[in-house]
Amino acid sequence: MRINQNIMSSIFVNNLRRQTQGMLQRQEQIATQKRINRPSDDPSGMRRVLAGRSSLAAITQYMDNINQGKTRLKFTEQTLGFVDELIGQAHRIAQEKSENGATSLERSLAAEQVKGIYDMVLQFANSRFGDRYMFSGHQTDTAAFTRDNDFNATYNGDAGNFKIPIAENVEVAIDADGRNFFQDAVNGGVSIFDQLRDLIAGLENPDLALGTTQIQATVDPLEAAKLQVANKRSEVGPKLYRLQATEEHWTNVRNTVQAAIGREEDADVAQAIIELKNLETAYQSTIAAASRIIQPSLVNFLK
Amino acid sequence: MTQLLGVLSIGTSALLTQQRAINVTGNNIANVNTPGYSRQRVNLETGTPTQTGIGLMSSGVSSSGIERIYDRFIGVQLCNENANLGRWEAQQGMLERVEVVFDESGGYGLNQALSEFWNAWQDLSLNPSGTTERSMVATTSQGLADAIRQKYSDLEKAQTEIDSAVKGGVETVNHLVAQIAELNQKIARTEADGTNANDYRDSRDLILKQIAEIIDIQTHENGDGQVVVSVAGGRPLVESGNIWQLQTQTNPDGHTDVLWADMNGSAANITSAIAAGKIGGWLHTRDKQITGYQNQLDALADGLRSQINAIHASGFGLDGTTGTHLFDDSASGAAGFRVNQAVLNDLDLIAASANLPGVPGNADQAIAIHNLRTALTMNGNATFDSAADTLVSQVGYDVQTAKANSMHQADMMTYLQNYRESVSGVSLDEEMVNLVKFEAAYNAAAKMISMADDMLNTLMDLIR
Repeated sequence: MRINQNIMSSIFVNNLRRQTQGMLQRQEQIATQKRINRPSDDPSGMRRVLAGRSSLAAITQYMDNINQGKTRLKFTEQTLGFVDELIGQAHRIAQEKSENGATSLERSLAAEQVKGIYDMVLQFANSRFGDRYMFSGHQTDTAAFTRDNDFNATYNGDAGNFKIPIAENVEVAIDADGRNFFQDAVNGGVSIFDQLRDLIAGLENPDLALGTTQIQATVDPLEAAKLQVANKRSEVGPKLYRLQATEEHWTNVRNTVQAAIGREEDADVAQAIIELKNLETAYQSTIAAASRIIQPSLVNFLK
Repeated sequence: MTQLLGVLSIGTSALLTQQRAINVTGNNIANVNTPGYSRQRVNLETGTPTQTGIGLMSSGVSSSGIERIYDRFIGVQLCNENANLGRWEAQQGMLERVEVVFDESGGYGLNQALSEFWNAWQDLSLNPSGTTERSMVATTSQGLADAIRQKYSDLEKAQTEIDSAVKGGVETVNHLVAQIAELNQKIARTEADGTNANDYRDSRDLILKQIAEIIDIQTHENGDGQVVVSVAGGRPLVESGNIWQLQTQTNPDGHTDVLWADMNGSAANITSAIAAGKIGGWLHTRDKQITGYQNQLDALADGLRSQINAIHASGFGLDGTTGTHLFDDSASGAAGFRVNQAVLNDLDLIAASANLPGVPGNADQAIAIHNLRTALTMNGNATFDSAADTLVSQVGYDVQTAKANSMHQADMMTYLQNYRESVSGVSLDEEMVNLVKFEAAYNAAAKMISMADDMLNTLMDLIR
């Protein structure tokens, strides 16, 4: 092949262009620490990165949900703990005052105490998580229970429950129907408010003997009510455990996904630097070789 | 006596011819860097022989013409490959701009807009009557709609850019075609008496190459040295001195079509017949690739609108209203993907509850909408998220292909250019050798004349 200066310089320029392009690419990888800087750098890799990011966003959200759920469950447990204690107090009063010996003064003092207990239970039943009532089903902006002057309690909520999405198409339902906790007359349980009302009535009855009977009638139901609250309280434990287990699962998955995204899009900086170094050497030797090849011409040797 | 004067005439012919050769060599050196220049050489011939007493003897040297060193096949190949190079470079250039629209490597884009949208519905499901949660749903819905609409309109902008590029390309082609017609006639006139129109041919080859870069052409040379150029399956652009103009016209989609007008002025649409050259690349990118991305965005927008609206409309807002659409369904496609203005005005309309009695605490509808994230909603085989991701990687693939092909094509062109250089290119070394050669011949001829002069003087001295 006949070679002239134009061929040599065009090949030389082409090589230089390719080498500088390669150096720019490596430099970009080193600067951004990323292998994929635009979709065309690795289209299928980009796709996997995006899918990974979607999962990551979803996982983070699930973990947030679980945290909220855990807080709510713990709050429920604490509330029920207080209610349990209050019913215990009422139960003790009923036991003590059901004996015939109590005077009417003692009874009326106890009645005041039970009224206080009633209102505190009512207050706990109307607990709010954030600014939403916890025990009124879906009627979260309505107080779960109200009472009239005769201590008759009314449930204002519905049967709705509170759902926490913890995974794809999986929700943990937390009971929010106040009746199940405080007024489970429907399911053969005990209405705490009714028993407390009856206790108050018994304690305030001027006919002491009749009062005694009334008080005695509340002793066993109050014990049952205590058990009912304790049962609801114990439902919290397994749910909390489930949330915790799911959270741990998500933590593991999140780490795996993060690692996968990293493997996909992070640049191997060490390799990029070595490649850059190689290209640099090639670049310098190309220039050195070109300066030797391009310069000499017969012109220089003719006088 | 004849011989002695004959030496003088041989010397004269040698002086003139070597000088002419030096001229041509000088011209070669002068044009060493001229694009498209083919090196030229003087064809030397011995002079017409005459009968002498001892036999035929030629009378010096003469130049029979100047010809360019040229491989006609490489010219055609250069045109073809330049058309392909133009095509892939045009595609790469435009697609790289489109790629910026879909650049999600930084984390902001469709993927994130979708994730934020789904997460907002989950947050809402935990607190269905919360004002913050509701406004987050509204904001992220708007963000999602804006992202899809923005990408669609960015794609439209790229198409408009291509339209004006096509118009510019057509203008350039018409301009260059006129030059070819002019050169055709100059070449025919020059070569009518047998001389070579070297420089005109070089210019014509160069211009043909330039046209091919813009639009793919077929060329062939007539007997009289005139070139016929045609486009799009045999429609002529130039035939001897006649030219046919390309025209542009806006099609029903609002984009520019390329038309070829015949002698009577009636125009044929040749848009789909243009396969290569920059115009071919632009048209492919505009009509096949970008339109394809737009269709995918349309499908995504339509899917999101219909599926989410269906669930949303069957739910109940905080104020008990039902049948509300989250996304405005008065328009279709990605271009009209907007959040229902009524919802933006009144966040209570966001329907989180599955039934009226369940308001405000029921969140089943919010959960149902969120669950669409993993549902195979796109043709039953892909989720919304994966449809969006597929689009991004599709753009990536197209850019990658265009890049690879234009790099390959550029290599091909370099190879062909170098091959052309090796045949037609000027080598300074070679020219220097020629210069020395012709100079030596010139000097020797001059020496010969001075020697003949001496001999004549000697002869004249005898007479005195």
